[in-house]
Amino acid sequence: MARRRLAVRSSVCRSYLPLLALGAALACSKQKAPDEVAQQGPSPAMTPMAGRSNGGAIANEAEDGQWVRPAKNYASTRFSGLGQITADNVKNLGVAWTFSLGVLRGQEAAPLVVNNTMYVVTPFPNILYALDLTKPGAPMKWEYKPGPIAAAQGVACCDVVNRGASYADGKIVYNTLDDQTVAVDANTGKEVWKTKVGEINLGESLTMAPLIVKDKVIIGNSGGEFGIRGWLTALDLGSGKIAWRAYHTGPDSAVLIGSRFKPFYAADRKPNLGENTWPGDTWKIGGAGAWGWISYDPDLNLIYYGTANPGPWNPEQRPGDNKWSSTIFARDPDTGEAIWAYQLTPHDVHDYDGINENILLDLPFNGRTRKVLIRPERNGYIYVIDRTSGEVIAADPYGYVNTSTGVDLKTGRLKVAEEKDPKMGKVVRNICPAAPGEKDWQPSAFSPVTGLLYIPHQNLCMDVESVEANYIAGTPFVGMNVKMSPGPGGNRGFFDAWDPVARKLVWRLTENFPVWSGALATAGNVVFYGTMDGWFKAVDARSGKELWKFKTGSGIIGQPMTYRGPDGKQYVAILSGVGGWSGAIVAGGIDPRDSSAALGFVNAMTDLPGASTKGGTLYVFALP
Amino acid sequence: MIAARSRVRLGSWWLSPHLLTMTVAMASTACSGFQSVLDPKGPRAEAVSKLHWTLLSIATVVYVIVIAVLLYALWYASHRPLPAGDHPYRETPDQADTMKRGVIIAVAVTVIVLISFVFASVSTGSTLGRLGGTKPLRIDVVGHQWWWGVTYNDPDPHNQFETANEIHVPVGRPVLIKMTSQDVIHSFWAPNLSGKKDLIPGHQTITWFRADTAGVYRGQCAEFCGHEHAKMAFFIVAEPTLKFESWVQQQRGEAQKPTDSLQAAGERVFLNGPCAMCHTISGTGAGSKFGPNLTHLASRLTIAAGTLPNTTGNLAGWILDPQSIKPGVKMPPNRIDPQSLQALLAYLENLK
Amino acid sequence: MNADRRTRIKLVGVASLLALSSLVACKREQRRFRESPPAATSANNVSMSELQPGPAVTNVQLRDPYEDNAYAVAQGKQLFDQMNCSGCHSHGGGGIGPPLTDDEWIYGSDPQNIFSTIVEGRPNGMPSFRGKLANYQVWQLVSYVRALGGLQGKAVRTTRDDHMMYKESEQARDKGHPTPTFVPPTSVKQ
Repeated sequence: MARRRLAVRSSVCRSYLPLLALGAALACSKQKAPDEVAQQGPSPAMTPMAGRSNGGAIANEAEDGQWVRPAKNYASTRFSGLGQITADNVKNLGVAWTFSLGVLRGQEAAPLVVNNTMYVVTPFPNILYALDLTKPGAPMKWEYKPGPIAAAQGVACCDVVNRGASYADGKIVYNTLDDQTVAVDANTGKEVWKTKVGEINLGESLTMAPLIVKDKVIIGNSGGEFGIRGWLTALDLGSGKIAWRAYHTGPDSAVLIGSRFKPFYAADRKPNLGENTWPGDTWKIGGAGAWGWISYDPDLNLIYYGTANPGPWNPEQRPGDNKWSSTIFARDPDTGEAIWAYQLTPHDVHDYDGINENILLDLPFNGRTRKVLIRPERNGYIYVIDRTSGEVIAADPYGYVNTSTGVDLKTGRLKVAEEKDPKMGKVVRNICPAAPGEKDWQPSAFSPVTGLLYIPHQNLCMDVESVEANYIAGTPFVGMNVKMSPGPGGNRGFFDAWDPVARKLVWRLTENFPVWSGALATAGNVVFYGTMDGWFKAVDARSGKELWKFKTGSGIIGQPMTYRGPDGKQYVAILSGVGGWSGAIVAGGIDPRDSSAALGFVNAMTDLPGASTKGGTLYVFALP
Repeated sequence: MIAARSRVRLGSWWLSPHLLTMTVAMASTACSGFQSVLDPKGPRAEAVSKLHWTLLSIATVVYVIVIAVLLYALWYASHRPLPAGDHPYRETPDQADTMKRGVIIAVAVTVIVLISFVFASVSTGSTLGRLGGTKPLRIDVVGHQWWWGVTYNDPDPHNQFETANEIHVPVGRPVLIKMTSQDVIHSFWAPNLSGKKDLIPGHQTITWFRADTAGVYRGQCAEFCGHEHAKMAFFIVAEPTLKFESWVQQQRGEAQKPTDSLQAAGERVFLNGPCAMCHTISGTGAGSKFGPNLTHLASRLTIAAGTLPNTTGNLAGWILDPQSIKPGVKMPPNRIDPQSLQALLAYLENLK
Repeated sequence: MNADRRTRIKLVGVASLLALSSLVACKREQRRFRESPPAATSANNVSMSELQPGPAVTNVQLRDPYEDNAYAVAQGKQLFDQMNCSGCHSHGGGGIGPPLTDDEWIYGSDPQNIFSTIVEGRPNGMPSFRGKLANYQVWQLVSYVRALGGLQGKAVRTTRDDHMMYKESEQARDKGHPTPTFVPPTSVKQ
């Protein structure tokens, strides 16, 4: 468990700098203030992918004390090089100021900090606030109200959340629930452009945080429970015009699969799999949105993201592999062309969306450094995938899984345990992990200092019964009765530290409720996360020891972030406000006596209303 | 009084020679036809039919013999000379021997006949259980109140397609049917081809048949399943392989697109109105599975689960007021103005 | 002789009681096959507020033609799944849409209120089923929704498919939104 310590920091920098890219490099080379430097050296040769300057945007990924996109950097590490707050002094952390968002639904967004201004997006009605960090108490600079159509709330499967905004080129860009992408002038709060990219009457909604790559805003739709046809779309950052759209089902021409498409596994190389692995024309309503995270590798000029579950949940209505649902795509951000694809869960039968974050790292495997992406997947495995080719290097379970027995590394195929497949008119019990998977959207963090991946996740199992799903456009298309319950051990959440090179668990914290908040790793060797009963916690990055905690007003399902204020101090911010799929019982006022409510999640959360009420408050913490 | 009179009338009718005519007529119609156990068109029905005729003929012979012996015994008892002696009815040792032999022979014959019945029955059973041929056509049938959902499976899922209330099969190839029900217990019965098999909610049952003669055979739900149990029929269309294949090709495709403005208007009526809430037409936005799949409606022989021939007039009547044709059916009556109805009919009739 | 007569009187009494009780169930089991065809239109006399300007007026309630009719409730239950109501409201507990088994009714719990909610939709996500269902189907849904909320008579308490949920059916439970007891969480290192 004890990791190798490299005593002298400067020697670390000297010996690894040539190899190094982003994170670790920042920790060393920036050398701004002594407190911004890691106390302990990084694991050898374990470096997050290089981030690059990106056109005119301020996306130079050297540590600038800002937070311009939800995942902090293109490699999606959620690691900040700021190190003022350390394992030693974090116990003194206190509230600097708070801000009420005025919306009491699930707060899943990450606040952004750019040019001494903080930007926060609320859940529906998706108000954008700009807070002036230069003034005491961070007063509001402006607010922007996009006024989304209220009916859009009827097609948001799992609370009316929004996962945040991105900044580039003087614009804050984010999505509204009613399928509009808006760009707002970061200084004035004036709308620059607004583009309608989807249709609520087809069940589409937007909840994800866009990623801005060069001059493209990349977004994907939600609605795998509404019979949508999933897509990823790039908008022009300047004008908001649609540059390209890649569907996730249908013929190759629609999926943007062309001559450059070179999937690693032979089975994926046949033509038109997005159409031929579905019965009849069901691919047109086959789900597979892209409501999660996008990463970008500037060296390879590739974006990486995963697609969501196939629809309906009832698998008997869609025999076949259902490509390209629950799939990782690597695409050229300029043209949208697919470069490779790997289907994590072929013919998904348990709602194992593949939308989780892809953390881009350069890791040593079998004696050589490989460009990989690491991904704690919903189906219960942590995948290590070669991001140049799509080859699965490793897939290890990080929780109790009985729906599959592993991943065949020869064919890349998940070895499914068929006895857990739902059957029409039958109840199949004790399926682990449950529909939200071992880990849902809540993003993990990677610290190049400790070399560990910090994974917030849940521990749930379920009973299911599939029923015939009727497709009526604009209404849910699910066909499954679900009833979830806590997994083995009885607790519903874990916060794990995972060593991706040794491929083993280093430490694990158990939480009563699912850990539905994101994680944040800092150079001060402190890792932050929140719990659904309202505690915001700081733990030691190496040992997992709880160092500090603070009880916020409502449950936390947001993404913690940190920044350097205009006063030079390091701040940590988190949104508090329970909701989301897991917190629907509170945010949506759901009746727990119906164990199938909120797609069955309520049955595992019946005690949440006693632990947290609705909320919507931004908390910002600092050392005294 | 009226009741009494009618009873009298009924009584006289019952005794009239009409009865005989009726019975003969009914019996003769039952011997052949598109829904008859007595007119087998496949190995399963044939095996059952053979067994039936075998049992029936043996039983008839036995019956005739028993009755003949009985009559003889009655006649003999009244005509034989009375034996002399104190105990006129006591058997002589000779008579007792004859008697014993007679009983032994009768019992032996009975046992042999019954055992041969068991063998015949078991061997028929095993014929029924053995799939009559290789590479069966695989079909899923789902029972609904009161219609049949039919899915043609294929190793390549993309080739799977759905239809309703009409099963096309190639002549000479076995058809393996997996069945279940969405609501209550139904029973699949196409007498010319195969015996009954229940469709049970939440459970899968399997049956098979093979049609050896091309033709159209009517099937019927054989387990009482609610109001319209009697109008829950289906048709099995057995056709030569080539014809069947071309039918499959045509069914796999998406629905015909409207070819003129009237049909286009009809499509709008279908999609904007209540129709799309229950029915699927592949290739359009309608994808509900509550009612039968209508993708290739115009290619079917009947509508309303074998209730009405598929004609424009019937279709119009059915759309406007299904409740008068099949009271209690799940399809609601629809109020559609004449122009829209014309358009809708034009659209539906184009769904070849 | 006397005893015989007493028995006979008893028998007649029991028989007439049985006959009477079967009459009680008449409405519960009544089925109509000749339903009026029109596609759903809005219900009249629906007001969304308890507050009325001017002198107090008694509100004339539109009756649910299927009040206390078990057959209609059963049909409504089927429609509730088939029209994907259960996609948002689950089996009454809610999800995307609000729960129907509790005692909070955002847009009113009277039959005509629920009828208009279904037909007209509501601004925060409830779709409008105008022209998509026949009137009698909407009323069947209303009956089922009210049965879910425990607003129908005891005779027509609908049953839920209990094979999934080994719990008492919701109508049999206490009304009101429950406040479960809270088990304090622990954060234990393994």
